[in-house]
Amino acid sequence: MQANVGAVASTVVQEARAHRDARHDRVFGWVLKGCALLVLACLLGAAGATLWGGRHAFGTFGWHFLVSDAWDPSTDTYGALVPVYGTIVTSVIALLIAVPVSFGIALYLSEVAPPWLRTPVASAIELLAGIPSIIYGMWGLFIFAPFFADHIKPWLTNYLGDKPDDGKLSWVAQHVPFVGKLFGSEYPFGASVLTAGIVLAVMIIPFISSVMREVFQTVPSRLKESAYALGSSTWEVSWDIVLPYTRSAVIGGIFLGLGRALGETMAVTFVLGNAMKLSPSILDPGASIASTIANQFSEAAGLQKSTLMALAFLLFVVTFFVLLIARWMLRQMAHKEGR
Amino acid sequence: MATNSFLYTRRRITNVLALGMSMLATVIGLIFLAWILWETLRQGISALQPKLFTKITAYGEDGGLLNAMVGSLLVNTIGILIATPIGVLAGTWLAEYAKGTKLGESIRFLNDILLSAPSIVLGLFVYTIVVLPTTALTGGSTTFSGWAGGVALALIALPVIVRTSDEMLRLVPSTLREAALSLGIPQWKLTTQILIRAARSGIITGVLLALARISGETAPLLFTAFGNNYLTFNPSDKMSSLPQVIYQYANDPGEAMHAIAWAGAFVLTMFVLLLSLSSRLVLSRNKVSHD
Amino acid sequence: MTESAAAGIHPQSAASPAPIAPTKLKVRDLHFYYNGFHALKGINMDIPEKKVTAIIGPSGCGKSTLLRIFNRIYAIYPKLEAKGEIVLDGENILDTSYSMNRLRSKVGMVFQKPVPFPMTIFENVAYGIRHHEKLSRADMDIRVEQALRSAALWDEVKDKLKQSALGLSGGQQQRLCIARGIALKPEVLLLDEPTSALDPIATGRIEQLVEELKSQYTIVIVTHNMQQAARCSDLTAFMYLGELIEFDRTEQIFTKPGKKQTEDYITGRFG
Repeated sequence: MQANVGAVASTVVQEARAHRDARHDRVFGWVLKGCALLVLACLLGAAGATLWGGRHAFGTFGWHFLVSDAWDPSTDTYGALVPVYGTIVTSVIALLIAVPVSFGIALYLSEVAPPWLRTPVASAIELLAGIPSIIYGMWGLFIFAPFFADHIKPWLTNYLGDKPDDGKLSWVAQHVPFVGKLFGSEYPFGASVLTAGIVLAVMIIPFISSVMREVFQTVPSRLKESAYALGSSTWEVSWDIVLPYTRSAVIGGIFLGLGRALGETMAVTFVLGNAMKLSPSILDPGASIASTIANQFSEAAGLQKSTLMALAFLLFVVTFFVLLIARWMLRQMAHKEGR
Repeated sequence: MATNSFLYTRRRITNVLALGMSMLATVIGLIFLAWILWETLRQGISALQPKLFTKITAYGEDGGLLNAMVGSLLVNTIGILIATPIGVLAGTWLAEYAKGTKLGESIRFLNDILLSAPSIVLGLFVYTIVVLPTTALTGGSTTFSGWAGGVALALIALPVIVRTSDEMLRLVPSTLREAALSLGIPQWKLTTQILIRAARSGIITGVLLALARISGETAPLLFTAFGNNYLTFNPSDKMSSLPQVIYQYANDPGEAMHAIAWAGAFVLTMFVLLLSLSSRLVLSRNKVSHD
Repeated sequence: MTESAAAGIHPQSAASPAPIAPTKLKVRDLHFYYNGFHALKGINMDIPEKKVTAIIGPSGCGKSTLLRIFNRIYAIYPKLEAKGEIVLDGENILDTSYSMNRLRSKVGMVFQKPVPFPMTIFENVAYGIRHHEKLSRADMDIRVEQALRSAALWDEVKDKLKQSALGLSGGQQQRLCIARGIALKPEVLLLDEPTSALDPIATGRIEQLVEELKSQYTIVIVTHNMQQAARCSDLTAFMYLGELIEFDRTEQIFTKPGKKQTEDYITGRFG
């Protein structure tokens, strides 16, 4: 058996190769895992770095930091309330506008529109979701804010506010509590909390409506067909079948939009007015966490810098949980689909 | 039967009203979006001039955006060059090695969160881990740099690339893995030479999308690349970028500066739209080729 | 066979036919589980050298599962477990100490759907060889040509070796996959429903190829197409619900099956 010698030799070679392959596979696996762990490191690092940077602010002001509306560089006293309040209010306004509009768009594109119209409009909206936020900010600053100051704001202050230009209080301002304060403003400028909310809304509409449209399309057609077979109208099918079926994913999409709105810098910085003063009116200028950081960080030092870091930490933690909920809700839906 | 017909009428009216509202929402949404795009085109095109591409920002109203464009290209390139290998490898780990494991699931989940994390916070993170230490090394003078800007953008591009690589690799049919393994090819060769190649078009799409995403980012560059007025190709220097100059000029009171900002916005928007369009094209053209 | 009698397990289910050639693969009391499901229940069979053995049976009977144990390709998925013995040239390939590299260079496999690698035609064949042997350029050219010739593909692709394999037709792709498998000079070739995705003409060419290849290789083919088994195999095994019901010469199975179940399946009285 002369082949045997060759066979033994080749077996030895093969064993050596097998060992080498196994070693390479192991090293390769480690490298890959290391890269994946970097994702984790980024999240932990961002939280850790801002917490560490903000330690002086947290240490100096303690819990009072969260509820104080002070912001005075001359005496070095800072509180988080003004930017936190501005961040939340602008985001809430944005959601109040964007959610119904996005739902309408998603509904129209998935159930109502003629088929030839669906894909082009949906693609156009998806493309717009990719436009840099600074473009939305510029449009807000140069186009929308002046328009708002000239046409919308006077109307709102006159009919809803408690400080109208003509001195006559409207019926609404007299009879409905809080509304007067909410819409009262002595500033003639377009920059305000409401303006920022609207610009944010326009920015997140393509985003939320794309997510909603996608999840609406996952509803099995047999489900919709059975409802239509019972004589339901399109609206009833959408409201009673499609929406309950996709509820968790729709909420996930909304929270995803909220996450965007909370952390957005450029779309709001231009139109928020950057007033570090708490005002009950949404027609007054305000500040958000992101806009405050963008405006003040380069010139800040010492405690002010630390305060901005502390604010960034707060923003990061809040958006983290909002996004956590969003992703979790969307995942529920994906599981349902997989079943 | 009177109640029935009343019920039917009410239901029909509700239906028509609701669907009418949804159409109205679509029209309103599209009007706003068209408005934004239209203004960018109108103001941008009217402000376009050759000097934008030949002069630097140091001349202000009489200058251009040359250094900002060069800076943008450099910083984006650094960001993509850092994020692509790491992102593709991490995505490969999720798709090929971590199937069904707890750690893999959590990282995939957290990656989705990083995907929409506030970019300004990521900018501050890079400020802390890159700018501050290098500042300490140079003895106190703050060392904003193109490198720092690139790292910040890499953090934003990373989750996009991880996610698309992961998704695209999971679309590769498992028979391809079986075919290679049945030839005795080891896992690492299978992964680098066959699977990544098979998912190539999808991965390229992800990289293009990531590039589109980072080219419009402003906030993370404010405290990392910082910006400057002169032309430099050295990433160790402070570096200007298009979105950042737009931000700066839009905040300036001068009308002429606004015009330059609009022109910059127009160039930026076109660049981003072009990237998203081409990434779609890459994907749709190659979708058919497999299977 | 004497061994199966000596092993003393399920004499009738180890129904190996009278030897027509030396045994290449000896399967003994093979059980297979996935996620706790008992998919193969004590398979015993002797697969003869340089013959074509067909495995038939209704879908879900475990025929593909059995094939996928012969080169342990199942091992890439978690939660799968094989118990028992499969002896190839005197060694148990299910033994964890049996090198995967060695096994896969000895046992080649072709899958249901053609799966060319995303590279050129030449590279598709050379890729596997390169991993197992270091060859000069000229030697590699010869090896690739040999493999493509054996797979009856050479004449069709010799002018476009540098083109992507994804451009070939389905039948050509499948023959390329066969060429890729035999380029490693395996001893056993496993074919898992190799023609299920092909048209009749391409199927005919593959069957013809199987006929030609059996002078050099031990071939095991899983098929859902009974005519195919009848046309191109020497031995046929019929499996049902994870058990080997009958294993005999092909003409015996198709003319005078020994078991009622086999007959029912052959004559189409089965779901």
